Amino acid sequence: MFTSHRPTRRATGVAAGLLALALAGCTGGTSVGGEPAEGATGADAGQGEVTGDIRLSFWGSGLRVEKTNGVSDLFVKANPGVTVTPNFGDFSAYFQKLNIEATSGNLPCVVQLQGRQLNDYAGKGLLTDLQPMVDSGAIDVSNIPAEVLDTGRGTDGKLYEVPYGAAYDSIMVNTTLAEQAGVGVPAEGYTWDDFVDYVQRADAALPEGVAALNLGGGLPNYFIEYVRAHGEELFDGSEVAFTQDRLVEFWTMWEQLRQAGVTTTAQDKSAEATQVEQSYVATGRAVVDNKPGNQLGQARGALAGAAPGQELTTIQLPSGPDGSSGTVLFTSGWSIPRTCDNVPTAAAFIDFWVNDHEANALFASNNGANTNTVELDSQLQDPALDPSTRHALELYQQIVEDEPPTVLYPAGYQANFETAFTRAYEDISLNGADVRATAETFIANLNSALAAAQ
Amino acid sequence: MSSVRGGAPRTGAAAQHRAAGRDPRGGSVGTGAGAQRDPGVPRMSRRAREALAAYGFLLPWLVGLVGLTLGPMLYSLYLSFTRYDLLTPPEWSGLDNYRAMLEDPRLAKSVEVTVVYVAVAVPAILVVSLAVALVLSRAMRFLPFYRAAFYLPSLVGASVAVSLLWRHLFAGDGVVNALLRAVGVQGRTWIGDPDTALYTLVLLSVWTFGSPMIIFLAGLKQVPRDLYEAAEVDGAGPVRRFVSVTLPLLSPLIFFNVLLTTVNAFQAFTPAYVVSGGTGGPADSTLFYTLYLYQRGFTQLDMGYASAMAWALLVVLGAFTAAMFATARFWVHYGDER
Repeated sequence: MFTSHRPTRRATGVAAGLLALALAGCTGGTSVGGEPAEGATGADAGQGEVTGDIRLSFWGSGLRVEKTNGVSDLFVKANPGVTVTPNFGDFSAYFQKLNIEATSGNLPCVVQLQGRQLNDYAGKGLLTDLQPMVDSGAIDVSNIPAEVLDTGRGTDGKLYEVPYGAAYDSIMVNTTLAEQAGVGVPAEGYTWDDFVDYVQRADAALPEGVAALNLGGGLPNYFIEYVRAHGEELFDGSEVAFTQDRLVEFWTMWEQLRQAGVTTTAQDKSAEATQVEQSYVATGRAVVDNKPGNQLGQARGALAGAAPGQELTTIQLPSGPDGSSGTVLFTSGWSIPRTCDNVPTAAAFIDFWVNDHEANALFASNNGANTNTVELDSQLQDPALDPSTRHALELYQQIVEDEPPTVLYPAGYQANFETAFTRAYEDISLNGADVRATAETFIANLNSALAAAQ
Repeated sequence: MSSVRGGAPRTGAAAQHRAAGRDPRGGSVGTGAGAQRDPGVPRMSRRAREALAAYGFLLPWLVGLVGLTLGPMLYSLYLSFTRYDLLTPPEWSGLDNYRAMLEDPRLAKSVEVTVVYVAVAVPAILVVSLAVALVLSRAMRFLPFYRAAFYLPSLVGASVAVSLLWRHLFAGDGVVNALLRAVGVQGRTWIGDPDTALYTLVLLSVWTFGSPMIIFLAGLKQVPRDLYEAAEVDGAGPVRRFVSVTLPLLSPLIFFNVLLTTVNAFQAFTPAYVVSGGTGGPADSTLFYTLYLYQRGFTQLDMGYASAMAWALLVVLGAFTAAMFATARFWVHYGDER
């Protein structure tokens, strides 16, 4: 009756699992977990019988849902007596739904989160510390690089999320238009100053109706990457750590480019569709933009339809003056809420997701580059891998080699930083608000909102 | 007396109940059937049974009203006096949320946006719907088709699909600008410009004038022809007939449509949410009150503040409705007053 075998389980884990199986008797489930860490035992360490139902909450649609359900089926097949109930929704409404479930104490046992929202939940004591499960061997994270694993930690240093997919922002360049303008692609290791010079040179030689750069002064990620490239922290605990001068410098840079006509207009930027396929860089209306690295394939497909013959590529974000990397990883991963009443099965699912070869081959880095380096190598060796995905995964490998900076987002970040940042810059670019006064108000409001969210 | 009130006929069974000292309201119903029942089982009168049946049928609605409307409303009133982030239990904060509302610049902006929207959209909807109703009240070919065609947008206008369509129509490279270019006019990015974004939403709401139009159309059919004929005999032209006959007789329907359209406009949400991607942008120019309420409650996890906002809106709408009813006697003319 017990047919579950985990090829990636450490030897000690298997031995302990078999022992637990023998003790558990023929109950229709399996047990996992190796030797418990000191001070952590039982369900806290992810040990116990793997059986019964777990609910799985994730965002996505179409192919993502299909692949996630496929991995769940593999898990169920490997663990007779287990059922996995999927619970998915569109990203834009996902967290609102999750919040309602949290209100009623009804969070699913395995919940997908990003580092950006992690502390909203961990800070309220809603998530389980996964470190004891890692220590006991219930969840094997040995193939995930330390810098990547750290993105799943809370501000208290505890591990609340096992990151399985790493997204990153990249500079997407229309190479055809850039070559026509005589500027090519920025050289490796280019700085923010080089970047400004590059788009200004491109602008001088572009046809009417094509902007050298899509306006990005209101894009929170741009600013995060700008600050990190300058070697500064975004947050210190629950307080803003970047300076007002840095924010003024950033917005002033964008305003100068916008007013010089190098970028798309503020009105056009506000009206731009959120889907990458309809974005200006993917329709040939802008040469350069900041886009998630894993959207290259979709953007290429859209550009082939909108401007046949034009090509797109992605490169790393500009570096700081001393060469510091400005590329930040935005990971997605799995967490276990404290209300979960089936922790052993939840831990087993996460372990299976991260380490099972068949599962990883099926999911195929659908939500950011696979954080399991062994599985990522395996995917890159597949000759059938499409060129855009290969490029995106290889760029991720380069980024990880450069040991990208980790940003710890305080509770309240998502609710109070991202849209407020966009709005503040819109006030500057559309309403002519003073840059310094806007920066001062933004930081003051953010600090008080973050303090209130703790 | 009680048996009469209970509607039970003075049959032998009722007499037996009286003789036994029982309450005759629980006695026999109908003719003779009660006499065969077990006298130990209390029987209901017709009125009691009807009441029970009525309450039985009402029960699903009552459960809905109490459980899904009144209960949550009262709970939200309680929440408006708390600090509540959804993820941890609410903490009593007294009037803090209401005080914070007075000092919130985004709330002030959302009130401004909503008032402008209501002030522009409601008269526009009423004028357009009445104008179209006047045209469609005349005899013409394909009338049912025109009525259906004009009503159709109001069925789909508030949907996400149409809001998305609107976004594409008024984008920089949208259909509206293409049409303008065709006639030599330089367009602009209507939904990306804070000066014009709100008015694209006003246009969307005006486009969905079907419901008030149908109501006006029904009202126009009820205006007696002889009044027009009499006015015409007295030398009244079309404008005078419209002002002195049509409008006064339509005033109850105008009152109804003003009330309904205004309350709906105050609660407008979907178009702004979809067209602005949920932000109320650009630069808060489409930040409707309800959209800001939603942002505070579900994005910023400030459900106490959002509840206070909801109650403030309820009070304003209640005051508006009361004011409308108070002034109605000065300008609404009901037929029986003639």
